[in-house]
Amino acid sequence: MIEASDIYKSFDGNAILKGISFQVNKGEVVAIIGPSGSGKSTLLRCINLLEKIDRGRITVENEVMVSTNDSGKAVYADKKNLRKIRLKLGLVFQSFNLFPHFSVMQNITDAPVNVAGISKDEARKIARELLVKMGLEDKADAYPCNLSGGQCQRVAIARALALNPDVLFFDEPTSALDPQLTMEVLRVIRKLAQENMTMVVVTHEMGFAREVADRVIFMDNGVIVEEGTPEEVFNNPSNEKTRAFIKGFDK
Amino acid sequence: MKLISLLCNGMLVSIELFVLTLLFALPLGLIVAFGRRSKNILISGITGIYISVMRGTPLMLQLVVVYFGPYYIFERTIDRFTAAVVALALNYAAYFAEIYRGGIDSIPKGQYEAGEVLGFTRMQVFFRIVLPQVVKRILPAISNEVITLVKDTALVTAIGVAEMFKAAQTESSRILSVRPLFVAGAFYYVMNLVIERFFRFAEKKLDYYK
Repeated sequence: MIEASDIYKSFDGNAILKGISFQVNKGEVVAIIGPSGSGKSTLLRCINLLEKIDRGRITVENEVMVSTNDSGKAVYADKKNLRKIRLKLGLVFQSFNLFPHFSVMQNITDAPVNVAGISKDEARKIARELLVKMGLEDKADAYPCNLSGGQCQRVAIARALALNPDVLFFDEPTSALDPQLTMEVLRVIRKLAQENMTMVVVTHEMGFAREVADRVIFMDNGVIVEEGTPEEVFNNPSNEKTRAFIKGFDK
Repeated sequence: MKLISLLCNGMLVSIELFVLTLLFALPLGLIVAFGRRSKNILISGITGIYISVMRGTPLMLQLVVVYFGPYYIFERTIDRFTAAVVALALNYAAYFAEIYRGGIDSIPKGQYEAGEVLGFTRMQVFFRIVLPQVVKRILPAISNEVITLVKDTALVTAIGVAEMFKAAQTESSRILSVRPLFVAGAFYYVMNLVIERFFRFAEKKLDYYK
């Protein structure tokens, strides 16, 4: 479904991604773990077009988002195609980034109505269903400032889902939340996993990654160090670095 | 009674000046703010100089230059009132531009990114997501400028526009009394009282979110 190969990205000469290749298959949940600064978030941001890669190739459902030409420069698809590809991808941020001046309902319906061109009534119907799924059916008229962090993040998930993306990316979705609120957000993501939603989750919640992910990717220093089933990566890591990282979390 | 109707006529001109200036300066300021924020150093440089000059020289001098400048340079005259509106709008746009810029810069990057990943165009992100939040943040600063503008309309007497202050001054020296000036002062104050109320109302209206 998503195929990324040999991705390079540096900021001001500082190499952050050094040749990352991976793929996401339909219905799969991929967890990306690794120490801070390893490039996990940058990778997600590159795939979601928030950063432009220097080199490499990314395709989404066989449509080329970016490829590298003969002189080694990344060439992106034209605007129209990028817009099309973008709508197949959803991203949930660590800091929610809800629109504070919109109610919960408007937060969820604004893009479907003004980007996807869905009718207002239809969008509201979809939003209400999503809010039920998120356990927030009574919050449609609330404003983000009146919600807890966990509720905000669930609204953000609903907002991303409202565009019916093929893949949903999470960039440390619970890192800004306390343990109890983390639980309610993870519960929602787990539910989505059971519905076979294709997801890529950058997370520090090792227990969650182990339980929900079909595949775990361990990144360090801009490269993928190890990749495999949770079983393989957590119980039987083949790489020294992975072992050290996971051991640090078990303590 | 005669005094009141005299001043009222002047006040209409003042209000006209005020409204027209805002009508041009508010959008122009936004364009200048965009220019100031531009990555193109030529554009940001030019708008930077524009703001610096407009804020760094007397408004009264600018009025005189806009009115008499065309005469000296092209030997053509322009209407006094038009010159007054042009000078005021150009001057206020500079101040508004800096207020907008501060407001725009204060919106977290995450708001743009969230809009972007939801597929909004850059225009949509700005007008649907960023600008409404900017307006809330800059209202107090804008109200300062708007109130100052009411008082600055009196400066256009420098190029002979017959607005309220001019009318009061003329009447004052004609009847040898300070009363017309006091009444004019009261008129200005009432106008600003209304404006103050308006902004307080607007701020309250936008108080529904943090």
